[in-house]
Amino acid sequence: MSVSPKMASARRVTLVLVMIPLLIGSLALNLLSVPRWIPLVTFAAVVAFGIWAWWLIGRRVRSFGYAERADDLLVTSGILNRRLVIVPYGRMQLVDVVAGPIDRMFGVSTVQLHTAGATTDATIPGLLPDDAAALRDRLAERGEERTAGL
Amino acid sequence: MAPMVPSALVGPHRVDAQGRRRVHPLTPAVHWLRLIPALLLVSFGVLNSAGRSGGSRELLVLLVGVVVVAAVVTGFQYVAWTRLSYFFDSAGDLRIDSGVLSRHERRIQLSRLQAIDIVQPLVARVVGMAELRIEVAGSPKKAMLQFLTVGEATALRSEILARAAGVRHDAGEAPENVLVQVPAGDLVLSLALQFRVWALLAITVVIVGVTVATNGPTGILFLFVAGGVPIFLVFSEFSKFFGFTLAESADGLRLRHGLLQTAAQTVPPGRIQAIGFYEPLLWRGRGWVRVRINVAGVAAADQGSGDQTYTESVLLPVAPWPVALAVVSRLLPGLDPEALQWQPAPARARWRAPLQWRSLAVAVNDSVFATRGGWLQRHTCLVPHARTQSLRVTQGPYQHAFGLASVHVDSTPGPVRIDGYCRDAVEARALAEEQADRARRARGTAAPARWLR
Repeated sequence: MSVSPKMASARRVTLVLVMIPLLIGSLALNLLSVPRWIPLVTFAAVVAFGIWAWWLIGRRVRSFGYAERADDLLVTSGILNRRLVIVPYGRMQLVDVVAGPIDRMFGVSTVQLHTAGATTDATIPGLLPDDAAALRDRLAERGEERTAGL
Repeated sequence: MAPMVPSALVGPHRVDAQGRRRVHPLTPAVHWLRLIPALLLVSFGVLNSAGRSGGSRELLVLLVGVVVVAAVVTGFQYVAWTRLSYFFDSAGDLRIDSGVLSRHERRIQLSRLQAIDIVQPLVARVVGMAELRIEVAGSPKKAMLQFLTVGEATALRSEILARAAGVRHDAGEAPENVLVQVPAGDLVLSLALQFRVWALLAITVVIVGVTVATNGPTGILFLFVAGGVPIFLVFSEFSKFFGFTLAESADGLRLRHGLLQTAAQTVPPGRIQAIGFYEPLLWRGRGWVRVRINVAGVAAADQGSGDQTYTESVLLPVAPWPVALAVVSRLLPGLDPEALQWQPAPARARWRAPLQWRSLAVAVNDSVFATRGGWLQRHTCLVPHARTQSLRVTQGPYQHAFGLASVHVDSTPGPVRIDGYCRDAVEARALAEEQADRARRARGTAAPARWLR
């Protein structure tokens, strides 16, 4: 399963919110007595970064995928740094569903899995709230069936 | 140590009107005594400056200040002592009620017990007191009982362990069998053979040199404080591991160590999540190794300190390889780390890990997944299949270019990381899938939480 494209919209809104002060800042450089080219180059760099990040968000969101298998959950993510996580149902300690304010505006939630491991990092962003709740319940149920001591 | 203490001697607890047990009445005094070094230091500083200005007013202020601090601390600690009680509830779990301003009622599920320590800070040791620290899985903070007499603390530890194991709780202290004692000479030499120690000593030399050159002998106090810190770090490691003794008993592993502050840690059987062997460069000539373990709960409490030392998860500070292997084969029966079939990383891993690629390898057998790596300090880490938490395969852009990927077996928080760096990408994925399968089968046959029942 892959994640909802709405996730990309939510992330892009966050990006825009970060970009606005950066753009204003680069324009404000004009007020300082610096050579003419410095504000131009800065502005161009900020715009280029914004376009690159915009494109990257789309790819990164598409890179998320998960599969509920017979005994474990598989989560893949990343473009440059690729990751694949296998979390056995019997090892899950708790399953969280979280959604920040911007995520809620776009109606997407993130499911986070926790094990007793320190380095386990399995998050599935960009699920519709109903799907996220259903996934959490399914995972919790399977965890209960297969739970093992430490 | 007597093999069995008669049950009459196990129960001399101070019990209050509600039938709850109390810690020792001298507890406020011990807390107060622990303040003395700090008070002395402050007094010394004030006296020093007062002596220069020759004022007797400062002396009066100092005296009043010391009395006030002492009174406040004693009062607070007295109230804390009256509010602290513990007991075993009907379900057999330990309850600790405490707190002066906000009440804290803690329930310690003995089925989730991970480790139990008796620690004697120097001051407490002088007056024959000890504190008990209890670790349970899934709890970020240790439960502490301050202070008990050494006899009470030992008896309470035996009782908790016996209850957790599911046997009669008045069975007394289980007999033990000493496995390893680290000689002080080996400990000193092992410290001398580490670059880190030399670096710290070099820092001291630099501080002394610079201070004398710039300030002359007047900078002596600064020198004492600043130059003392690196030496103190070296000494504290020596002091911590001094007299290190590893013993086994029916209760589990017992680790005792310490020169000034002593600690006696008990790790019940089957609580070890992962084992790592670490070999600094200069130890190789002597065939020495340090053994660290992951125990759920133990390192988690230490992580806040940020310096990644995890001293409490050191199983052996320094030991010859055969000794270390003998100990580990007792912990994981049937395991012979020397018989592992190591699969080295592909030669193209040299482009990604130019220094350590020769030592990178993974191995799998019936009971453990093992990885090896490191350049100057080599390490070998093992995790039993049944202790596998989750699996990860990661691939950075540079690894991707060479068709490499790393496979990681996640363990509980601790110093031991099981990372198989720079495998062939296809092989890494296959290793992860196979390990998930092995872990699932091993979990099915894992031992129960109450190990003697």
